[in-house]
Amino acid sequence: MTGTVLTFPYRPLSTDAGIKAAERVLATPFDQRLSKARNLHLEDPETLLALCGILRDRVTSSPSAIRDEAEFLYRFIESPKRPIGLFDEREYFLGETALIAGAACRYLSEREESWLWFERAEAGFRHTMNAVGELSRLAYQRLAERLEERQIDVVLELVPSLIESFQKMGMPEDVLKCRFLAGLALFERDDPAGAVRVFNEICHEAEELGSERLLAEAYVNLIHAHGMLGEAGPAIEASRRAIPLLQRLDNRISLGKVHWGLATLLREEGQLAAAVGSYRKAQEDFEALGMRADIAALNLVVADLLLEQGQDREALHEISEALPVIAELKMAPEGMAALSLVRESVRRQEVNRQALRELHGYFQEMQA
Amino acid sequence: MEKPSSRRPDEVESVFSRALSVIHSALVSYYRLTDEEARGAEEDLFIWFQRLARRGGAGQMPVKLLRISLLSAACQYGRSFQLWKLGGEQSPDSKLNDILAREPDDVATDLDRRFEEERS
Repeated sequence: MTGTVLTFPYRPLSTDAGIKAAERVLATPFDQRLSKARNLHLEDPETLLALCGILRDRVTSSPSAIRDEAEFLYRFIESPKRPIGLFDEREYFLGETALIAGAACRYLSEREESWLWFERAEAGFRHTMNAVGELSRLAYQRLAERLEERQIDVVLELVPSLIESFQKMGMPEDVLKCRFLAGLALFERDDPAGAVRVFNEICHEAEELGSERLLAEAYVNLIHAHGMLGEAGPAIEASRRAIPLLQRLDNRISLGKVHWGLATLLREEGQLAAAVGSYRKAQEDFEALGMRADIAALNLVVADLLLEQGQDREALHEISEALPVIAELKMAPEGMAALSLVRESVRRQEVNRQALRELHGYFQEMQA
Repeated sequence: MEKPSSRRPDEVESVFSRALSVIHSALVSYYRLTDEEARGAEEDLFIWFQRLARRGGAGQMPVKLLRISLLSAACQYGRSFQLWKLGGEQSPDSKLNDILAREPDDVATDLDRRFEEERS
């Protein structure tokens, strides 16, 4: 018979002290944290729990910084192997920090990194007491990543099973997040009217649940769907409701997507110059967040608009800005043919517009 | 509007208090911990459980699932502690050997069933 001894070396911080310690950690530069780890209570589970909560809340405000923070915490807990907390807490924090890092990478379109972090999250969560719940949250992130990679059939096949898991566990907010994926798949299927129907239902349910975060993000998707349909009134109404919520939540990613959605509407209404202005605002928002993939996708959309206005030279410039980023981030593995055509046409200084449209069609605006 | 994932501390305390007699009985009767050892275990379990309820995925979890996680942790604690005391030897107590041979999760499921029966 064998067994390991569970050790309980010291009384942990209180919840409030943990929150204060977490703030101190975040205010300390990375290169000073290891030497100050003891004073910062970095190994204390209350500190780590508070840090995870803060990082989760801020991932849509500054994904790049949150990715770095989550990676630091993961590395700190992982090696050398530190005895964190009680029972399964070390494994939970490994899983949670990896999940946050993976989600941040997803927002930044760093796909390979994102998948690697999700693998690490699974390795941690497998050993926790509530493994089913944590692994289901991970499954949601994986499906959201698949959606961004346009694996629509896979998403639609797996979403119902995940919804069922969350329903069985009594996790209604996560059920609703899965329904986002189903609604976003309708955009990809070129069915904005279907998306309007789904996101209106989601708004209603998010209100009932009291989830401002999901409500705001559902409004953002409604802006896009109505914009694609050229329905100015409902699109503007959705933006009027979304913006104060997003500002309160400091959800800067979605605020950028609001500008993107309004630009889509202006374009549908034929207000091309105003549409370009709104796309530029979205790009500025994404620039501040380090979301290079979204900036590149918008370069292509703007190029298309410029071509429509006979500004071929400016359009070529936009495309030339985007192509290296698209190649570096491997943004369109399924659109390689279109990418090659666009690249070739840029070389000839004469844009292949069909290929351009096909390529930027791979970067539909979405918020999962 | 309130965030749905926030669980009130008094609700967590109430789940723990209601499961405490089953936990104590499992630690003492099943895993043969002394009363003092069991009380120490319960203090640690309470601290851990308060944090479990604030994890990313546990905020909206129904009470039953939270309770099963708690009972499972209690059984893991009891088993590890007793195995450490035995130092790798078999116990002369065959019932204790039987319980140590079982997966803590299985024991926890039985305990939860007992908990439900006592409440009904």
